[in-house]
Amino acid sequence: MLDQLGNGLLLGIIISVASVALSLLYGVTRIVNFAHGEIIALGAIATLFFSSPLDYRVLFLEKFSPLGLNFAISCFLAIVVCGLFGGLLEVFLFRPLRKNDVGNIAVLVVTIGLSILVRHLYLLFATGKVQNFPLELQRRQTYLFFDMTPRNFNVLIAGIIVMIIVGLLLTYTRLGKAMRAVRDSEELSSVSGINSDNIILITWVSSSMLAGLAGIFQATINDVRWNMGFLILLLIFAGTVLGGIGTSFGAMVGGLMIGIMVQVSVGLPFMEGHTEAKNAVALAVMILILLFRPQGIFGKKERIS
Amino acid sequence: MNKTILECNGIAAGYVKGLNILQGVDLVVHEGEIVSIIGPNGAGKSTLLKAIMGLIKVSAGRFYINGIEKTNLSTHKIVTEGIGYVPQVANVFPSLTIEENLEIGAWSVNNKKESIKNIYTNFPMLSERKKDKAGNLSGGQRQILALARALITSPSLLLLDEPSAGLSPVAINEVFDSIKEINDSGVSILLVEQNAKRALAFSDRGYVLDQGRNAYQGKGEELLNDPRVIDLYLGKL
Repeated sequence: MLDQLGNGLLLGIIISVASVALSLLYGVTRIVNFAHGEIIALGAIATLFFSSPLDYRVLFLEKFSPLGLNFAISCFLAIVVCGLFGGLLEVFLFRPLRKNDVGNIAVLVVTIGLSILVRHLYLLFATGKVQNFPLELQRRQTYLFFDMTPRNFNVLIAGIIVMIIVGLLLTYTRLGKAMRAVRDSEELSSVSGINSDNIILITWVSSSMLAGLAGIFQATINDVRWNMGFLILLLIFAGTVLGGIGTSFGAMVGGLMIGIMVQVSVGLPFMEGHTEAKNAVALAVMILILLFRPQGIFGKKERIS
Repeated sequence: MNKTILECNGIAAGYVKGLNILQGVDLVVHEGEIVSIIGPNGAGKSTLLKAIMGLIKVSAGRFYINGIEKTNLSTHKIVTEGIGYVPQVANVFPSLTIEENLEIGAWSVNNKKESIKNIYTNFPMLSERKKDKAGNLSGGQRQILALARALITSPSLLLLDEPSAGLSPVAINEVFDSIKEINDSGVSILLVEQNAKRALAFSDRGYVLDQGRNAYQGKGEELLNDPRVIDLYLGKL
């Protein structure tokens, strides 16, 4: 059970970072972004491309050489690429849709289409091979009462620090307050003098950067796959909804809880030999919690008048 | 005659292309005036305020602010032209504290601290509860916060969309008292109201809208006693 808790924390932090990104975007733009998983995968694939040694033929139909850059620089560049991708999506796709008053459901279907398109471009260019970052293997060590490799432990710490920074930025900075204001009401924000298009653009960029970071985490802990984002997308939605849609703090905790429940349920007696069904328990718990607390754990009921 | 702050010439606008709610509305607000817009449901009263704020696109006609044309300017730029707006619903940010609401209101203001301090002096209730979430305020308190948020930019004209909607009679009196005080401090008011008698009695001038067009206009008291207006809109009250 306890080493499963370690695994649960690691999966939890990936989902948590990705859920905060999804929740931020949903909160400000009301877009349920099914292409979120592909931005996660972009973070991992871009890092793989930037960091793999020059003589590797990991990607791109064996035609292009990777860049062989320092791993940390690669991660940084990959996050920038994700931010850029998110920004371009907003400017060339979602802003025009918004200006033409395309309904929420139609936009949702657009994100599903985008997800399928981009995911299969990855399959085309990055191939279906399961690949790994060029990092040396590490031995597990014991931290407090769970075992994980030093690298994974660093991922966990980095994830927690990123969450704290995001929380502080949202609560105390002018930009964070503006994001929360646009989340409450775009119309009221613009009549308060805020250029809400700019705030939405910044939200797309920062949400995509966070998603890319989650992808790098996931690939560091596990591996790089063309459909890696899609595989955990459902868990990310679950984490977001469990915490309370649109609340960043809720998404953090909800994501962490889903990750832990998925991994810890592997240790349950009736799960023996059925570990491939591990998502089932976590999602069942999510449904139960929502039955009794429809607004999510940290979602608030508000007076409407 | 005082300086003209806002002038609308033949404004046509709507939410859907090809379906205009406003079909050529003319309206003028002078410095220091309280002007009210009354009319039955669906006459386009709220739509007119939204069109002035650039929240919906104007398909015909022109707006002038202080004599300069500002048709179809982006909303956040209209705010910096000295126009404040309090919508009828969703007029505060419920998940933000009162202080944060005012900070967002002061987005385009240079001296934010000073302007928030001024608001607290004028509305002590807000100062006492500044760390409370706006979503926890009562309807009347919300309306006061909504007024304060719009006032923080020191606008020369304030657009109010049914400030009395859904309030108790006591709260309505408080809100109208506040509006009167705001006007006394030199801010012009353009008011949309269902409560036509109250609005006209309170206003310098009034416009009656019907089906997206100007029906009648005149001094507040005159309209109040105009048999045509009484027949059309006031008789049932």
